[in-house]
Amino acid sequence: MLEYSFMQNAIIAGIFISVLCPMVGAFLVLKRHSMMGDALSHASFAGIAIGLVTGFNPILSAFVFTSLCGLLIEYLRSFYNKYAELILVIVMTLSVGIAITLISTGQANANVNAYLFGSILTVTKEDLLTVLGLSLISGLTISMLYNQLIYITLDEDGAKIAGVRVKLINYLFALLVGATISVSLRIMGLLVVSSMIAMPVAAAMQLNQGFRKTLLFSILFGFLDIMSGLVLSYNINAAPGGTIALVSVALLIIIMAVKKLRTLYLS
Amino acid sequence: MITVKNLNFSYTGLEPCLLRDVNIKINKGSYTAIMGDNGSAKTTLAKLMLGLLTPVTGSVEIGTNRIGYLPQNLKNINSQFPITVGELMNCHASIIKLKDRNSITNVLKSLGMLDKKSSLISDLSGGQMQKVLIARALLGKPELLILDEPSTGLDPKSQDDIYSILRRLNIEEGVTIVSVEHNLHAAFKNSTDILSIEKCTVKSSTVPENTTGRKGDRNVRI
Repeated sequence: MLEYSFMQNAIIAGIFISVLCPMVGAFLVLKRHSMMGDALSHASFAGIAIGLVTGFNPILSAFVFTSLCGLLIEYLRSFYNKYAELILVIVMTLSVGIAITLISTGQANANVNAYLFGSILTVTKEDLLTVLGLSLISGLTISMLYNQLIYITLDEDGAKIAGVRVKLINYLFALLVGATISVSLRIMGLLVVSSMIAMPVAAAMQLNQGFRKTLLFSILFGFLDIMSGLVLSYNINAAPGGTIALVSVALLIIIMAVKKLRTLYLS
Repeated sequence: MITVKNLNFSYTGLEPCLLRDVNIKINKGSYTAIMGDNGSAKTTLAKLMLGLLTPVTGSVEIGTNRIGYLPQNLKNINSQFPITVGELMNCHASIIKLKDRNSITNVLKSLGMLDKKSSLISDLSGGQMQKVLIARALLGKPELLILDEPSTGLDPKSQDDIYSILRRLNIEEGVTIVSVEHNLHAAFKNSTDILSIEKCTVKSSTVPENTTGRKGDRNVRI
């Protein structure tokens, strides 16, 4: 399996994605913005459609459009302060509208399914470099903003008073979510990418640990989900998006079951 | 320390105003209690001082950026966030660029919360969480403390402990304190000045020497 260059590309990209998705996901889930990942994955669909129609690199066009939508979500927050979910509907409507209109014209000369469901065959060297570049920039940014992001996620007012530039960091974070979704598209497909942002964090939260440990467990679970999903995908000849999603649900069920059994045993 | 000039405020930006033509001067080293009935805009005034709200007209000037803050209740805090008390304090210490991390231990110890350093905040009671947030506000020796009902959720002994700490910080270290208070006793016992809000206007008064419970408090030690 590992002798094939397409599999090597997929695994290298998978390693980076498995670190990046839960890192961003931990803050997104704890901000109660899990559905933002879903809205932005729809936005990436529009970005891909724009790339395919114009002949531009679809991952980069997805990154640009998804990031713009991330910034739009942040901007609209002041208009719908108490109805955050409504902002996501607005962005999804815009994105799906653009995507369907462009793709239905028949000018998108590529297999759209590969972007919807993910593919291990289509990760090219060029994609890999894009994934590596965006992953490194995103990882560095998150590690630099680590404490600010924790503070904002926990207590936004407190963060403002302590001197954190909340608005700027929220905008930067929206860009990071956009970048994360774009780099994950090739492997996982846009229908599943938001799950990989939330599922490893959901599993790690079951362990009732502090933030640092929750984050590390999220990354570990993300790695297990993606690597097992890729191997399964290769062996049963299915799209990796589906197998990764199924593995992540299975892992969550196992962790919940072990936790329940442990509680019963201790009581 | 804080100067409020010709301030008018309403959440909609339109009439009727919640606060009208407010002019206040809070001196450095004072301990000011903000008092008023429920819904009289005590918390709103504190948030305006902190810059969390923007006045419709008028201005607020604060003479320091070393501010400790205690919110009124926990509803704006994600109390289910998987974070330990120690991680929360370290995070705050990093943001305010506090180098002496021993002060985290000291401040938690002074509030009787040192044994909870490794506990998740989601496992704390309301009173314990209040103490953690007070500890966060005290970290890094702020020059100004703005506290919104610091005694909420605390048992009588903890209330006494916290007010003793606040009086000591105010008297011995000159920390300026502004505290939204719902109880008259605490306000008169601890403060030097009172801001009372009634019908959208704020009146300022000084607590007379013979009334305040601060007499002889210069020796208070925790």
